[in-house]
Amino acid sequence: MIWLTWRQMRAQTLWTAALIAAAAAYLLYLATDLRDTYRLTITDCTTACDDAKHAFADTFGPGLLLIGLLLIVGPALIGAFWGAPLITRELETGTHRLVWNQSVTRKRWLAVKLALAGGVSVLFTGGLSLLLSWAAEPFDGLVNSRFEPLTFAARDLAPFGYALLAFTLGLVVGVLARKTLVAMAVTLLVFAAFQLLMANVVRPHFAEPVTETIQWSDANTVGQIDSFGIGPEGAGIQGYTIPGAWVISDYITVYKGDGTEVTEADIEACDKTGGTPDDCMTGFDASFEVVYQPADRYWDFQLLELGVAVGLSAVLAGIAFWRIPRGLN
Amino acid sequence: MNTPVLSTDTLTKRYGRHTALTEATLDIPAGRIVGLVGPNGAGKSTLLALAAGLIRPTSGHIHVLGRTPAADAHQLADVGFVAQDTPVYATLTVADHLTMGKRLNPTWDDTFARTRIQQIGLDPTKKAGRLSGGQKAQLALTIAAAKRPKLLIFDEPVAALDPLARRAFLQNLMEFVAELDISVILSSHLIGDVERVCDHLIVLAESRVQVAGEIDDLTANHHRLIGPRGTLDTLPDGIDLIAADHTDRQTTLIVHNTTGHPLDLPGADTIGLEDMVLTYLHRAEGLTAPTLQETRA
Repeated sequence: MIWLTWRQMRAQTLWTAALIAAAAAYLLYLATDLRDTYRLTITDCTTACDDAKHAFADTFGPGLLLIGLLLIVGPALIGAFWGAPLITRELETGTHRLVWNQSVTRKRWLAVKLALAGGVSVLFTGGLSLLLSWAAEPFDGLVNSRFEPLTFAARDLAPFGYALLAFTLGLVVGVLARKTLVAMAVTLLVFAAFQLLMANVVRPHFAEPVTETIQWSDANTVGQIDSFGIGPEGAGIQGYTIPGAWVISDYITVYKGDGTEVTEADIEACDKTGGTPDDCMTGFDASFEVVYQPADRYWDFQLLELGVAVGLSAVLAGIAFWRIPRGLN
Repeated sequence: MNTPVLSTDTLTKRYGRHTALTEATLDIPAGRIVGLVGPNGAGKSTLLALAAGLIRPTSGHIHVLGRTPAADAHQLADVGFVAQDTPVYATLTVADHLTMGKRLNPTWDDTFARTRIQQIGLDPTKKAGRLSGGQKAQLALTIAAAKRPKLLIFDEPVAALDPLARRAFLQNLMEFVAELDISVILSSHLIGDVERVCDHLIVLAESRVQVAGEIDDLTANHHRLIGPRGTLDTLPDGIDLIAADHTDRQTTLIVHNTTGHPLDLPGADTIGLEDMVLTYLHRAEGLTAPTLQETRA
């Protein structure tokens, strides 16, 4: 059975391997270049180090993002082009009626297909993920935003789970739809929906986020205010970054020391005294609340992300193992 | 050889509202070449797919060689199945198919397989997708036979073949059935083919088994009775009426003698296999059979 499965997937596996090898070669080149540049411009930095960091991030960001996107799109493609046709193609060409009558039970037939083609999917994706995580290490350390959705989903363990899930999803949708093209389209859509849902709805709730009150005077030591605005609705922070952490709040209201909101009138009154907005806010004894997932939860979240994907894959595989021995005609 | 190759009890298969097979009860002894005949859509493929374990019954029971079809690897090894249109892997070569057979079947007879491929004249390096219909059928037949099953099942093996290839295929089939000493069930809508190679018959129409038995018994026990109108209104016990046709002066009956004794009625005449089958098929469709009149005399 292993021989037949391999014989059937040989061509596509070799093609994909060639593609992965090309990506890996590029990553190796990028990793070497990245480390040389890091040593020269960051480690040995003497003047204008912040500019050097920005220049470094600008230089290597796009290349790493490209491979990262490949890792995010890759599983969906695996699901559509490997998972969906794996059994559906046999049903469409009728060859299941040939292979199901060899002296191999359908459960074993399915198990070998799932293990071999699914295993290759996971190995390819996971291997590339580990290579990217290694290559991007100095970059990720510098930029320090590993919870960024496009980074989180393309590093370490998460891609292993995605590959497994997309593959089993394609397989099960194929078994249920029995039309390769329909199954491919449905797989792509459902998996894209899954990724969006994970990043925006599920992942923020993997753990109860931390709510921290930050004094205005500490605002730029704990983290960094990206943008701050004053309007008729009062004073608010539109972007707050804490190194390595995942800030969930997207609009943060600023309060005065007495617990009331900082209003436009407060700012205008303060402006007349001639102080900078920063001085004013400190004068108000202002503070704000930030809701975030701390940086040290990164590995817990990676494991949970993997766990969710593996769990869903197991359910899907269960459906396939329940459905296929019952016959499909 | 005491275990029946196929035994079913009120076997029924439904797809949604459509009933493909209705309460089929059969008992087929080992060592036969069984012909399954009936019009398209009669349920032949359904019955064979149930026997091969490709699908499961909605209700009723089926046992093949005394066991549930496709129960385990051992049961699968005992049954060879060649599906309709004889599917093969288009991108795999003929040799790849033999390797597949060898790897997937512990009882595989590689010498037999290679010899047969050579005899048929198939090029082992040729992709199966480029074979003709007849060659594909031969390849599928070889794979099914080389696993040395106790029972071979063919679903319309010759439907896609031209008359010449059909004859060659059936000839071939007969040869190695004799060589391997196995039971065979094959479906066909060509009664002539069945008559040539089979010794047991199942007539299936409108999803129901119409009649089943040894062909010799069936032909010996089906009769055409012709008599003046009114003289054939009552039949003795054990003489089943299959079809009746009346003209103003004459009545023609087709009857099945199930008494076990020779029929002792005046004007009785045996009918051929084809006429018998057609009578059952017409009855199933609720039509008056035109074959009741002796047309060939």
